[in-house]
Amino acid sequence: MKAGALELGHASKVTATVPQKGVNRGMSILDLFLRIIVIIATLGSAIAMGTTNETLPFFTQFIRFRAKYSDLPTFTFFVVANAIVSAYLVLSLGMSIFHIMRSRAQASRIALIFFDAAMMALLTAGASASAAIVYLAHKGNTKANWFPICQQYDSFCHRTSGSLVGSFIGIIIFILLVLFSAVALSRR
Amino acid sequence: MEKSESTKIDVVETNKERKGKAPLLGTAPVVAAAGAVEHAKGGANRGIAIFDLILRIAAFASALGAAVAMGTTEETLPFFTQFFQFEASYDDLPTFTFFVAAMAIVVAYLVLSVPFSIVCIVRPHAVVPRLLLIIFDTVIIALTTGAAGSSAAIVYLAHNGNQDANWLAICQQFGDFCQRVSGAVVAAFVTVVILIFLVVLSASALRRHR
Repeated sequence: MKAGALELGHASKVTATVPQKGVNRGMSILDLFLRIIVIIATLGSAIAMGTTNETLPFFTQFIRFRAKYSDLPTFTFFVVANAIVSAYLVLSLGMSIFHIMRSRAQASRIALIFFDAAMMALLTAGASASAAIVYLAHKGNTKANWFPICQQYDSFCHRTSGSLVGSFIGIIIFILLVLFSAVALSRR
Repeated sequence: MEKSESTKIDVVETNKERKGKAPLLGTAPVVAAAGAVEHAKGGANRGIAIFDLILRIAAFASALGAAVAMGTTEETLPFFTQFFQFEASYDDLPTFTFFVAAMAIVVAYLVLSVPFSIVCIVRPHAVVPRLLLIIFDTVIIALTTGAAGSSAAIVYLAHNGNQDANWLAICQQFGDFCQRVSGAVVAAFVTVVILIFLVVLSASALRRHR
């Protein structure tokens, strides 16, 4: 009797781990899919900001009125940060596929969580700094005597404001990625 | 001389029965070894949780310093015209107002997460508190970095100005204000680094939860 009961217990343990592994694998596949979405979002943001170039149709004898992303160092930082995050995500796609195949990997998941958190911080810093500058360009600041340049450079302003959207979507999805990795770690 | 009536029956052990018997004999030392390993893992988890609590208190101190340093800026220049008095405080720039509000939220969160951290110390094998801590810490990393990054952009602008947009560098006039504000931004970035380390700690404690 005891041998039979032990065998039954062993069998029920096997069936219990199969749905757990299935959920882990499902989360890893979702992780890969979300990573591809973030690549598209951040790359789109970098390109949208990097291709800004607006020249106003009037000019004086000495000055040509032109606005590019490189006129503001914050926007340059934004483009660079988005490019770095895109490159990191492309490299981490391989790691994500590895996690799909091997659901029991642990140390690599922790490394992925660390790099995901660090890259999320970099992306958020770039996006929030650019958001502050875009806000200033729209509203100006009377106390600091900073003039809102959006009143002149309309298309430049629209472009820069729109490129922020992709970055912020990327930030939210990064939070989801860290959550999925943590849940997969805890459900080994 | 009596022949014993007992007959010996040789029961050949089948493979099935051998498989059924082996765990019975082997479970005792295996269970003891597993118990010892679990105890060691619990000890390591407890150490990680204590370190987590210490780091959380450090992050709380840094975030509180950033919020207070930014919130108490007020500089009035010693000269004034007939109509204007030149003063600068944090609420002149909406980005700094956002910074103070966001750091206040971060400070409140860190205070409220200390009980969860203590629960993780007391119960080294708990999964749900650690998972909650990881997810909320990640959200708070995003909030803190948002506040710190946007204020860093404004501080950079205040230090250097921008010729193409015709924005003057106001730090040349309000030196004390600028120093205070820059210090607050640095403290916020220190908080971000500590928070990232906290997330990695919680993740590495999660992996040893069995």
